[in-house]
Amino acid sequence: MQASSARTIGKERVGEWLGRLLTTTEVIAPALAHAGDVLFRRISSPAEVQWDTDNPLSPPKQVVLPQTDPLAAIRRGSDGFTVEPVYDERSRVLLAVRSCDAKGIAFLTSMHGADLPDTAYLRRVAAVTVVSVACTKPCPLGFCICCDAGPFLADSFDVQLTDLGDRFLAEVGSEKGSRLLEPSADLFRPAAVNEVERRRELEEQAKRAFGPETCHFASAMRRVSTGRVSAELWDEIAGSCLECGACNFVCPTCYCFSVKDQRRDGHWVRCRTWDSCQFRAFTLEASGHNPRQDHRERVKRRFFHKVSAQYFRRDGAIGCVGCGRCVKVCLGTTDMPAVVAAIREGAWHG
Amino acid sequence: MDTVLTTCPFCPSGCGFYLYACDGRPAGVMASERHPASRGRLCARGWSSHEASAWGERLTAPLVRHDGRLRPVSWEVALEAAVEGMVSTWRGGRAIGVLGSARATNEENYLAARLARGALQTPHVDSCLAATYRPLLDGLAGVTGRHAGRGTIADLEGSEVILLFEGDVAATHPQVAGAIVRAVKAGSRLVVVGSVATQMARLAALRLTVPPGRERGIACGLVAEVIAAGQLDTAAVVSSGSGFETLRRSVAGIKSGETVSRAALWYARSTCAAIVVAPLVGGEGELRQLAGDLATLAGVTGHLDREGSALLILPVRGNLRGACEVGVSPDLLPGFAPLDDDETYRRLHALWGVAPVRERGLGAADLIAECRGLVIVADDPVSVMPSPAAARAALKAKDCVVVLDAFATAALDAATVVLPIASFAENHGTVTGLDGRVQRVRAAAPLPGEARPGWAVLADMLRRLGSAAEYHGADEVRQEIALVVPSQAGARWQDLDDGWGVIAPDRGLAGLLSLGALPPPAGPEGTQAVAVWDGVFDWGSDPLVRYSPTLCRDAVAQRKLFPRGVVEMSKEEMERLGVRQGWSVRVRSQSGEAVAPAVVRPGLAPGVVVVPYACREALAAVMGGGIAQVAVERA
Repeated sequence: MQASSARTIGKERVGEWLGRLLTTTEVIAPALAHAGDVLFRRISSPAEVQWDTDNPLSPPKQVVLPQTDPLAAIRRGSDGFTVEPVYDERSRVLLAVRSCDAKGIAFLTSMHGADLPDTAYLRRVAAVTVVSVACTKPCPLGFCICCDAGPFLADSFDVQLTDLGDRFLAEVGSEKGSRLLEPSADLFRPAAVNEVERRRELEEQAKRAFGPETCHFASAMRRVSTGRVSAELWDEIAGSCLECGACNFVCPTCYCFSVKDQRRDGHWVRCRTWDSCQFRAFTLEASGHNPRQDHRERVKRRFFHKVSAQYFRRDGAIGCVGCGRCVKVCLGTTDMPAVVAAIREGAWHG
Repeated sequence: MDTVLTTCPFCPSGCGFYLYACDGRPAGVMASERHPASRGRLCARGWSSHEASAWGERLTAPLVRHDGRLRPVSWEVALEAAVEGMVSTWRGGRAIGVLGSARATNEENYLAARLARGALQTPHVDSCLAATYRPLLDGLAGVTGRHAGRGTIADLEGSEVILLFEGDVAATHPQVAGAIVRAVKAGSRLVVVGSVATQMARLAALRLTVPPGRERGIACGLVAEVIAAGQLDTAAVVSSGSGFETLRRSVAGIKSGETVSRAALWYARSTCAAIVVAPLVGGEGELRQLAGDLATLAGVTGHLDREGSALLILPVRGNLRGACEVGVSPDLLPGFAPLDDDETYRRLHALWGVAPVRERGLGAADLIAECRGLVIVADDPVSVMPSPAAARAALKAKDCVVVLDAFATAALDAATVVLPIASFAENHGTVTGLDGRVQRVRAAAPLPGEARPGWAVLADMLRRLGSAAEYHGADEVRQEIALVVPSQAGARWQDLDDGWGVIAPDRGLAGLLSLGALPPPAGPEGTQAVAVWDGVFDWGSDPLVRYSPTLCRDAVAQRKLFPRGVVEMSKEEMERLGVRQGWSVRVRSQSGEAVAPAVVRPGLAPGVVVVPYACREALAAVMGGGIAQVAVERA
């Protein structure tokens, strides 16, 4: 990080900064929902932002890749059908996103930009500015440090904030980030050398605070990539999976989808909807044949996509940002750390 | 995008999540992290629960049948036609029946009961799925005095021993299955009783394999073993008086073997233990007796009155418990009150302004067959009843069928009046979970077209029939329910809005345990194979699954692959018959025969043939009530 590019803002001024943002753009941030739940939702006042909360259970993925994502409007005209693309280019700020989630959005953007660029996704994400907050202590179930996705980021953010007690240090990571801060330049001042030094100390402290037991991806990658995980082990793991799809739905990097036309008043909207590789019907072919009929094949597929060397080489990253959400949402017990441990040890412990 | 906390509309686990809408349509789900029933964990159905309301074939305008076709009319015309149809049926001395539903809220069900026993003065009120659940509750009530088990899903995770009577909870109640998986991981001993090697059976420390319909053999064996070993809760036994001695004598002769004995001792000696009864195929009498056996087992071992122990009867669908509890029942008043309960009768009389009918009415199957006029609230008898053909034929012969629903279902084929109501995504009200938790359903999207909330439509019908039914919102109906359901007395109603719903305080058994002789279980089975339905409900036909693009696929694929039905058999049995995957077999029972393709079901014992509930119509000639001794041969 260049000291010259960093700024600071006193916490007493953050409200004013956000107040100004709210007059020009939609701001989505962790905010209280019912009885202590925290969700990423559109805020209407700076006071709603929950800065010090655990990462919300649902990631901000839905902002860039909604569960129901309209792609095209189909209308019947006098000379046949017309198909018009639907774009969502609302200017939005995604605020107080944790490092893992910022990394997740960068992963999705990279994936949707590769091969055939996905215009609907790319136009939407281009209008979203990501303001992340570096994690000065690991969250209870997180293992971002094993995934190169935190606790602090060197890239994948537009603005990264670090909590220095009575102020935030703000690092600009992109043109978009720079544009976001520009109108409020009067509220920020260039960071002092000791402030930048403090940020470095906090990053080192945060890294050291992770326990020795995190998630051993390297070992899992070797075994998965060379076919050294037995069918019996996949069977055993599958026995503890209830095929809920939650691991996919809350995963910041999962993007598998289905497509279906939704009928509206007088026309249809072709929608992309979240889907799960754990659902039997995900790979069901029109003939009735299903290449992944057996549950173990579906579980195997998920972890092959997440941690195999083949995908690592293609994507430059494993398909996991270490947010730990799958540990919380798994209806059974087949979350990422548990399965990686099983692959490494060659045994499933339920 | 605004988010609204609501309760999952599928199974009765009572999971909580936030629903949100985009462009006025439900568009997604976010799990609630703190909700005590789900703690951020949802099953596949929960995660896609927004879809049916957004993608389904919705009813958006009132319809009245005219010249054989359903045509859109105004609400005024439709409601008048509905009331006129009912009144003329009634004046003609012909019976009217009202069907509530596990898909409807407590408020809708209560008003359906009020419509029947109050305004229409008919005792014929029930729900299509009640026969899968009520006998089990009656069995419990016979021993404990209460139409309820005890405990919550969370108790399963703290149980040292879990006795699971399968079903297939991984498919029917994934949240319950999840609790069991985590309990096993934490060291619980899982004992699974059933005939099929389900996912839970594969996790079991002990499998007690029984032929379909013979679960009582195990249940009585467990009771006999704990009594023989003296593993008894003295206080419970003493308080039950001479009943215990009668019980002891009735099971003294039962010899059940080493595995049952081991399971019985595990259960009796544990500090916290759970019994879970998944929806089972069986006759009314057997189910009632099975629940009685299990309540007896929990009672004599002290688990029935012990904090942390659970006895959970799983209703097969969402609000089945709520429907039964608020009065959708031919033989009970709201609050599970007997028909001769004067106190409840007086309260209802005062609230309704008319004396409620106290006779016993017809159960759903007879009600559908015999009543000439029907009001159907959010249900489709053709999809849900064990005999679709009988339901279809009966509906066609009605004078008047008023259907209130959010979705187009097969019930519309026979409807004379269709009243479009809210689906769960647009509705307000409460539902009751398997553990008795009453929770809010909240609207996340505007009503489509001219649809109205179901409670408001029923209240309107009541008023047109001369009842004083001025409710300003669903919550006023909920408050009226609280006045007539004694188990809800003392509940902290503020938790309905501030917390995670309301569970009425457990008052303990306090002298209610009533022990007596267990009827002897059925003797050893014959040598023939036994065919059994794989459950008592077909989610694939439920509108919330059928209209969900994500959830409908398995059921659609199965129907497409096997339009003539299918039977599932063990690999060994298929080899013995010389048939390969998809080849046809002839299945013959005392009542008839049918030909259907056969496929392998891994882990099935030879001698058991499984018929998917969705295929029951194709094999109706063979199956009778869901279990039949059969001979199978290559067709």
